[in-house]
Parts: sequence; C-alpha cells; structure tokens
Amino acid sequence: MFQEAEKIYYFIKRDIVSFSTYKTNMVLMVLSALFGALSYAYLGSNASMQSVLQMYNMSLTAYLLIGMAFNTYIGQSLSLVQRTINPWSLEEVLVSPTSLGIFIIGSSAWGFIWSTVVVAIYLAVGSLAFGVVFNVNLAGTVLVLALGIGTLIGFSMIGAGILILTKQGDPITWLIGILTSVFGNVLFPPQVMPYQLQIISYFVPQYYFFTCIRLMMMGWSIQMILPEILILILMCAIMLPLGYLVYSWCLRTARKSGTLSWF
Amino acid sequence: MLRVAIETHNLTKIFKSKVRSLEPRSSIFKRKEPKTVIAVDHLNLEIKRGELFGLLGPNGAGKTTLVKILCTLLPPDEGNAYVNGFDVIREQMNVKRSLGTLFSVGERGVFWRLNGYRNLEFFSAIYNVPRHKRHERIMEVLDSVGLKDNAFELYQKYSGGMKRKLALARALLPDPPILLLDEPTSGLDVMSSRKLREFIRNNLSRKAGKTVLYTTHYVEEASQICDRIGILNKGKLIACDTPDAIKGIMKKGEVVDVRVRAITDAQIEAIKTMDGVVGMASEVEDSVLGQWRLRLHLESIDSLPMVLDFFFKEKIRLIDFRREEPTLEDAFIKLTGTGLG
Repeated sequence: MFQEAEKIYYFIKRDIVSFSTYKTNMVLMVLSALFGALSYAYLGSNASMQSVLQMYNMSLTAYLLIGMAFNTYIGQSLSLVQRTINPWSLEEVLVSPTSLGIFIIGSSAWGFIWSTVVVAIYLAVGSLAFGVVFNVNLAGTVLVLALGIGTLIGFSMIGAGILILTKQGDPITWLIGILTSVFGNVLFPPQVMPYQLQIISYFVPQYYFFTCIRLMMMGWSIQMILPEILILILMCAIMLPLGYLVYSWCLRTARKSGTLSWF
Repeated sequence: MLRVAIETHNLTKIFKSKVRSLEPRSSIFKRKEPKTVIAVDHLNLEIKRGELFGLLGPNGAGKTTLVKILCTLLPPDEGNAYVNGFDVIREQMNVKRSLGTLFSVGERGVFWRLNGYRNLEFFSAIYNVPRHKRHERIMEVLDSVGLKDNAFELYQKYSGGMKRKLALARALLPDPPILLLDEPTSGLDVMSSRKLREFIRNNLSRKAGKTVLYTTHYVEEASQICDRIGILNKGKLIACDTPDAIKGIMKKGEVVDVRVRAITDAQIEAIKTMDGVVGMASEVEDSVLGQWRLRLHLESIDSLPMVLDFFFKEKIRLIDFRREEPTLEDAFIKLTGTGLG
C-alpha cells in the first residue's frame, strides 16, 4: 500500500519538477485564470452594463455578437501568424526562392478567409434568430478590420520573434490575449470597470478596434469616429513595421547563432 | 559554364552559446556558462560540376552546418562560399534557385494531411515551377523516386522510406543543377538505403549530370557511390580525394582487430597514447560479457607485442586478434585518431 502511494508521489514529483522548468508558462497560467475570472465577473454585472450600452445604442445581444464574431479575426491575427512563421516550417521556406513577406501573407490567408466565414455565421444567426438589425458601413468595416489586423499582426510578429529566440513561451501573444479579454471591449464595455482600470483600455488597440467595428456595423460613418480611427491608424503604422523589424532581427539572430531549428 | 559548382574559401562558423553549469546548485536555477564551438574551421573546398562529392564525418563534425551555410540558412562568420558562382551572402536568391536541399530531418515543412502530390504541388509553386509544367514535373519526380503509385496517398500513411523519397522529390522539383543531400539515408532500412544510393548515383549523378554534395557518417555509403570524398573532423577538412586514394593512406600502416574483456576506459585511453599506435576505434561488442572490439592502427606490426604486453600487465583478457585489410573507415581512424561513432 505504502509502496503504491510512494509511486503516486513520484509521479507528482516528476510532474512538478518538469512543470517548474516552464516558469514563464506557470506564471502566465495563474494570471490567465485571474484575468478570466475578472472578465466573466464584469460580463455578469448586467445591470451596470445595460446603462453603458445605451451609449453605444445597441442591445446586449448585438454587442456580444459583434464582439464574439470579430474576436475571431483578432485571434487569427495573433495566433495564426505566430503559428505559421514558426521554426518548424521556416527552414524549408527560407531555402526556397520565396520572400518572407509572401510566406507570411500566404500562410495566414486561409485563416482570415475562414474567419470571414465564421463572422458571417455569427451575424446571420444574430440577424435571423435574434432579430438583430445590422446597417453595415462596408468601406468603414473593411478599413477598421485592416487596421486592427495589421496592428495585431505587428504584435504577433514580435511574439513569434521572441519565440524563435527563447524557444519557450511567448509573453507578447499571451499579454495581448489577456488584454483583449478584459480591456478590449469584447465581452463588456470598459466603462463598467473602475476608472483606474478603464484607463488601461485606452492604451489597448483592441479597445479602438471593437469600438469602431461595432459602430461601423451599425452604420456610423468614418467621420463620426475619426479620433478612434486615427488612433488605430497610428497604432497600425507603428506596430506593423516594428513587428516586421523585430521579427526579422530575431530571425537573423537565430540564423547567425544556428539555433533556428532548435526546439 | 563554370567548372566549379561549389567552392568555399576559409569558411568559418562559430557557435556561441550559454550552457547550464554541471555544478549542483538548485534543481531549477543553475548558472549558465559561455561555450564556443567552431563548427566549420577555415574550410577550403572545391566541388566540380557534375561531381558526386561525399562529405564524411562523425556527428558534430560540421557537415550539416556546412550544408546550411551553402543553402543560405546560416551566415558564415568568416570566409566566402559560392554556389553555382553565386555568393551565399550577397546573391541569396540566385543561390536558392541553383539548389535543391534535402535536410537530415526531412519531415519538417511537409503537410501530413495532404497527399504526396498535393505536398509537391505546394512546393512547386514556392519553388517557381511554371504553372503549365507543374503537373508533368510533379509526376516526373514522383516517378523518378518510385512514388508515382503512391502519389495520392496521405503523407501520414507513408512509410519512413517513402517520406524520405518524397523529401528527395521535393528537392528535385525545380530541377536544380546542384543538390545538397544531408544524410539522405538516415532512418532508412538497409534495402531502402541501397536503392536510394543507387538512384542518387545512377539517375541524379550519372544520367542527369547533377552536382551532388552528399553528407554521411557511413563510410561504406561514401566509398560506394562518391567520386571524391572529403573527411571533415571538428570543422576541418582533413583529407579530400577519391575513395581509393584515401584508402591508400593506410598502405604504410597495419590494422589489427582485437577482442578483449575486462578493459576500462582509462586503459583504452592509455593504449591510444602508446608509441607506435596511430589511432584506435573502440566499441562495446557484448555488454553482458564486457567484451570490447578494438581496431588498432599501428605504424608497423612491430608495435603489436608492446600492446599485447600491456594487456598482460593490466590483466586485460585477450579473446582474439587478427590483421585486417584497411578500409575507408580505417583511413578515417588514422586521420582523426578516433572512430566515427
């Protein structure tokens, strides 16, 4: 009996020691749980949310539908690029006469096409089953989408670069994911949070993306939300080239040190 | 047309890293110490157009590093390398257009849920195979590696040999004049290895006239198919000639194969440093009996009694010994002082 219990103890000990070697991952998991609880707690505080939603002039159903639907694009922008420009497939492409830019665009394209299908399903269900009326400003929606995706691909490339160098967890993609869930205006407007937390939202690109995309889906014009659009343009103009530069630098460094395929 | 397909001048690659200290401290936090490895050390190499050149060396000799430099994946720290006349640093796109590369880990970048044909269709696009020629070219390379009948089977159902063949087919797709084949037979059974070697020699080298750089740590592979062999050890090219000429290095010495029991690592090292012993490879032949096989390279047979006397004094049990004809592996041991293992 004691011998069997001891075996279980050594299973646990093995896993704890192994788990403890992924220190970044350990911290990220604990923080993810905390932020997850926080975001669902605010989603549950329906009473305060209704009053805030009146500012957006839409129902909670429409608010959530648009948030969930376009969050798939954000998720794709963050994870797909990071996944496709990983060291496993990089070597084979880097030896071919194909540029890195074409590889990134080509590898990510299907993910975005599929996301568009998912968005269409969300919106169709919202419209047909829940009677949500959309009055889409198509040009504005495409513009906001392009700016949001561009900004987040910039972050994603930084994350992928760090992953190539460290071969461990990528804190950038994780951080952006967490910021999206709590401060990104996906499940609840940041205005329901205390003022000190609301401020954080104004530094998070997703806040502007979801604010703009919701209003574009409800037929607002670009001029009506020009300040938010300009902030998104600025963020995209900084993050996209910065992400490419950081990624290229990390790739060059890994190639120089010969660690590109070490995993 | 250039006479030389691949050439390197003083090519050097140094890897700098930090490794965890072996000093026992905490199990989680360990100090890291800087480590420098010279993977390729002032290498001068010239491979002629149409030549099947074997690069032979033990694990860690620098073979894969050289392949990665030549295919532009790794920038060298010193020196120059040219592929098809193009500089691997300044003319990367031209180098990539001149090359087909088969990496020692061949399954990377292949899509497991696509069939062989669809995988090659993707790679034919990124290797700029003209659209109207793609189908014909894909079927041609699949046929040439013997995968035509399995073209539409899922890659994940391929055997190890078939996966390796598909990796080779991918390298052949753009019909490059130069092929870099990094341990192409690794992981294959004896029959598949032989067939692949014959295909490389007969079809790629002899019929198609391609220049092939073939890296391996199997001596017999290199001696069977290569026109010339370069022996790489610790990043340095220590010999470069035809297989017969390299075997000729051994003509002056003697090779003795010895079987012993109850020998220690310290005693093996002591034999290596004895006068008259040029080199020695050792391997455990039977771990249960503690039986070792030593392949001794002696300056002359006159050195043998001294070695046998050492066995007697050290109480090492001698099972048998015999003189042998030198092989290419013996040349390698003589040149490096150690075996390929």
